[in-house]
Amino acid sequence: MKTNPLEVARLVAARDLRLAFRKPSQLLQPLMFFMIVATLFPLTLTPEMSRLRDAAPGVLWVGALLSSLLALEFLFRDDAQDGTLEQFALSGQSLTWMLFAKTCVHWLLTGLPLALSAPIAAMTLGVPGSAMWSVVASLALGGFALSLIGAISAGLTLGARRGGVLLSLLTLPLAVPILVYGANATQLAIAGEAIGPPMYLLGAIAVLGVTLAPLAAAAAVRIGLE
Amino acid sequence: MSEFFSMSGYGIYLWPAFALGIGVVVLNLVMALNSLSNARKDARRRLEMNSPEETA
Amino acid sequence: MATWTWFHRFGSPPYMYGFARRWAPWFGGVAAFAMLIALYGGLVLAPEDYQQKDAFRMVYVHAPSAWLSLMVYTTMAVAAAVGLIWRMKVAHAVAAACAPVGAWFTVAALGTGMLWGKPMWGAYWVWDPRLTSELILLFLYFGYMGLRAGIEDTAKADKASAVLAIVGVVNVPIIKYSVEWWNSLHQVASVMKLGKPTMNWDMRWPLLLMLLAFTLYFAAVLLIRLRAELLRRERNASWVREVVT
Repeated sequence: MKTNPLEVARLVAARDLRLAFRKPSQLLQPLMFFMIVATLFPLTLTPEMSRLRDAAPGVLWVGALLSSLLALEFLFRDDAQDGTLEQFALSGQSLTWMLFAKTCVHWLLTGLPLALSAPIAAMTLGVPGSAMWSVVASLALGGFALSLIGAISAGLTLGARRGGVLLSLLTLPLAVPILVYGANATQLAIAGEAIGPPMYLLGAIAVLGVTLAPLAAAAAVRIGLE
Repeated sequence: MSEFFSMSGYGIYLWPAFALGIGVVVLNLVMALNSLSNARKDARRRLEMNSPEETA
Repeated sequence: MATWTWFHRFGSPPYMYGFARRWAPWFGGVAAFAMLIALYGGLVLAPEDYQQKDAFRMVYVHAPSAWLSLMVYTTMAVAAAVGLIWRMKVAHAVAAACAPVGAWFTVAALGTGMLWGKPMWGAYWVWDPRLTSELILLFLYFGYMGLRAGIEDTAKADKASAVLAIVGVVNVPIIKYSVEWWNSLHQVASVMKLGKPTMNWDMRWPLLLMLLAFTLYFAAVLLIRLRAELLRRERNASWVREVVT
């Protein structure tokens, strides 16, 4: 009995949200990690604001990437361990949609909060107030694309030893375009210029991710569960 | 002859580049042959372990 | 139905083992011969370039290495896809055999590129689209090999790494077209363009021959590695006994 995939997705999303709010500390971890990483740079590099401002796009985006890699481990782990993922795969419903729903919720709980709290970190790095909206927007969009791509590597490393390190290694090559354009957008914003071009490209990557990544992730999860 | 080695002054970049390129070619051939030889030895060893009479 | 027999034959490990044993020396021999001629043609016979003088000769190792890095990845991805779709063990073995070779030639491409970049552009490295995406290719190879190594069960490792190889193949056209799509320091293609090429024939033929030589060389190395891979995977099969004793 095949249910409407959107309905299935909605149910999975609702479940994930409910479970996540039972353990709110798990949600805070990636966020704290990002803040710490962002503060490490001024401490270790230089307290000079103008130089920090130059480094700000890189720092923010590398921090966001690392935090996102950390958070990706939570995407499938609990469900894989207690057998829920297997149930999803065997249910006869669309695994692609279910994983897409999980990825969206994951972004809502990790990527989006990170983007929204980035201005705090950005301020310590000397980013001017005028650039803050752009910083949030680019990190939100880029974070969404990262979650989508990360779902593929999370699925692939389900059955692997030392999956955490491998997950980072696999996500990295595919994440580079997101980093490049995201940091570019932030840089343009700091300089006061229009961020249109890189944002469109980030958008294009996100759209490509939405259409293809859940499919690849579903294939990866099925293989990992065998 | 020294003209050949100097390569209009670029020899110091050119010859290491060729060494790298040809080196990788030779290295991969050697590694492939090694891998094959090890696989054969391994297979022979396993056959011997499992059925010593038949590999005489 | 001739195509199916052909297909089935290539899917049979003992057949492929015999095929590889027979053909590898031929491919290797012709490749070595071609490489020597191409090297002579490129280093001795070809005239020096108007702008780059003798430095342009690095093209004879740089371009074939880069070509191989891309071609091997594509071969790997195609073999992985065939293995995934038609469940052919041999195809997965081919993919596994490709990876280390491809990674090495990506290193060679990057290294020779750096040695060429320093005198020509003044820098060993620039973060331009082609170099950056070639570096990403190296990471993809490492990721592929790392994933294989991290999964114990061979069949599972085959399938998981196949998904990765296929997802990563999107990088290959990016590398190829990066010099056309974006502003890049790297030179636009002047060898294989249809129509009037910008490289003169005396410089061109050694390059074409070298590209052919590298391709044949890869076929030889792949076949050797494939034999090793098949022996390892088919340990308990009876054909292995006949072949190693």
